[in-house]
Amino acid sequence: MMKGTRKGNLITGRYMITLTCITIAGCFLPLVLSSYMLRVMNIALISYMCVLSVYVLLGMCGQNSFAQAGFWGVGAYITANCLLKLNLGPIVSMIIAIAGTALFAFVLGFAFFRLKQYYFTFATIGLMTIFNGLFMNWKEVTGGALGISGIPPFAIFSFEFSNETSKFFLIIFCAFVVTFLMKILFNSSLGRQFMAIRDNELAAGCMGINPLLTKSKAFAIGGALCGLGGALYAYLSGYLSFQVFTYNQSTMYLIMIMLGGTINPIGALIGTMIISLLQEFVRPLQNYMQLIYGVGIMLLMIVQPEGILGGIKALYGKYNERKTLRRSEA
Amino acid sequence: MENTMKERHLDVLKLEHVSKNFGGVVAADDICIEINPGEIFGLIGPNGAGKTTILNIIMGIYDADKGNIYLGGTDITKLPTYKRARMGIARTFQHPRLLTRCDILTNIQMGIDLTKRTQKQNVDESELRELLEAANLQDVDLSLSVGQLSYGQQKLLEIVRAVLSHPYIMLVDEPAAGLNHREMDYIVALFNIAVKKGIAVLLIEHAMDLVMGICDRITVLNFGKQIMTGTPDEVQNNDEVIAAYLGGSANAED
Ligand SMILES: Nc1ncnc2c1ncn2[C@@H]1O[C@H](COP(=O)(O)OP(=O)(O)OP(=O)(O)O)[C@@H](O)[C@H]1O
Ligand SMILES: [Mg+2]
Repeated sequence: MMKGTRKGNLITGRYMITLTCITIAGCFLPLVLSSYMLRVMNIALISYMCVLSVYVLLGMCGQNSFAQAGFWGVGAYITANCLLKLNLGPIVSMIIAIAGTALFAFVLGFAFFRLKQYYFTFATIGLMTIFNGLFMNWKEVTGGALGISGIPPFAIFSFEFSNETSKFFLIIFCAFVVTFLMKILFNSSLGRQFMAIRDNELAAGCMGINPLLTKSKAFAIGGALCGLGGALYAYLSGYLSFQVFTYNQSTMYLIMIMLGGTINPIGALIGTMIISLLQEFVRPLQNYMQLIYGVGIMLLMIVQPEGILGGIKALYGKYNERKTLRRSEA
Repeated sequence: MENTMKERHLDVLKLEHVSKNFGGVVAADDICIEINPGEIFGLIGPNGAGKTTILNIIMGIYDADKGNIYLGGTDITKLPTYKRARMGIARTFQHPRLLTRCDILTNIQMGIDLTKRTQKQNVDESELRELLEAANLQDVDLSLSVGQLSYGQQKLLEIVRAVLSHPYIMLVDEPAAGLNHREMDYIVALFNIAVKKGIAVLLIEHAMDLVMGICDRITVLNFGKQIMTGTPDEVQNNDEVIAAYLGGSANAED
């Protein structure tokens, strides 16, 4: 056996153990949190799914998008329309939201990824603006400025996820599944194609990878994640307003992942939780929030450009190095 | 597929009157090359002669202004890079272009992925082991990041990856540049394995002892022009070549 070829079993591996531990610990949160804080947690976990879309796009595939909050909105509005206008069931509506947003993102990706790197990024800023304009003005579908209200909670058969705690378990379950799928993606040939494009698009082409198609697939997976987040948000809040799905929110997702680190989903989780809780605790300092973010981001880029997780990894590397050094001295 | 190509005695790769201009600079001028299966074919010439440009044209990174390119008899002149790669052209770069943020195993896996995709077959571990041994990488921990390899090891890894993708032809751009003599031997060992598998190699190289030692035939370029094509002996004894290349900048480089 060659050194390092054994990739570790998916189910018994370190990733799965960490993920399970975090999830189990999370399941105790309803016991200690007030219903208000549980709502904050629910919103944070939904943000986490959107931040995972940034993880796939930016962390794995090296493409930066400012439109993810728009796809989040698309998922939410699809869900609301399926439920209220088409009278479909909650599970079907959620599946349509995920698939629909993914398909939509794939088609847009196919058009937008003809632009390379920062030209693409700029185009997504325009896309986000269009999304928000549509959400605000397309009354038939989004309810315009009034929004959509009266969205029923998620339900399986006759069980309704109507109180905050049951909603929390629904959302944390989805977060668990999605995070698990991220690992499968990472180890798959598609994941490697994403990373090849991130590290060198020209060389990726020389290894038989179609850059346009592959990047569109990453965009579609990001769309699916945002679609799921949107559906959950619709069920959680029961009311949709265009003021939620904004450019600022997209930027927030990027800040969250930059803070946590792009190397794996745990980074996305750390970043999302820190920012979400920070937003709550410094609410009295609301007026200074922008300043705190601004200075914080600059400091982060100077001190730890790889994010918190990158910092931990570097420390761990140094620790290991020292250990081997000591061993070789002994 | 490999066998049918040999049976029909087709050339793996054929360039027909290929030309390329870069705003006045003639980087390739009416190039005609035919490469046979399992052949190591050298492409030499002074700096700026147009060697890398020809590789880029074969790979579809640049479009040729004129001329056609055939792979196993199929015209690939208009195909995008990724399709050419899937049809069986692999290449390495003058400066290695690996997945820099991934571990070594992931990089190796990229080559195997391509084989799985195009030939619907897996690469067995003994084949990987043989290649890693030839490249003297067998003791390296494959879970290390690529950045922890030396420059030479990265170049060797790139060739290993290319062979693992089971192409018809490998385009190898200056593999020996920046390598020590031991590492050059590893390159030769890797080429020998490739040739045994029936893979042709198009080799660009400035190290003359290496080129003259392993190439079956060589094309000499100067200012984008094809001065001659022949065996190493013929090339070394050609007056025009000596004047244009071996007597010129090559001495300064070696
Ligand atoms: N993308 C490009 N745009 C403009 N000119 C180019 C481009 N690529 C190559 N050239 C020019 O084409 C000529 C051939 O360059 P090329 O890189 O093919 O040479 P080479 O034979 O590989 O040289 P070296 O031995 O230094 O690698 C040079 O004059 C170079 O400046
Ligand atoms: Mg060159």
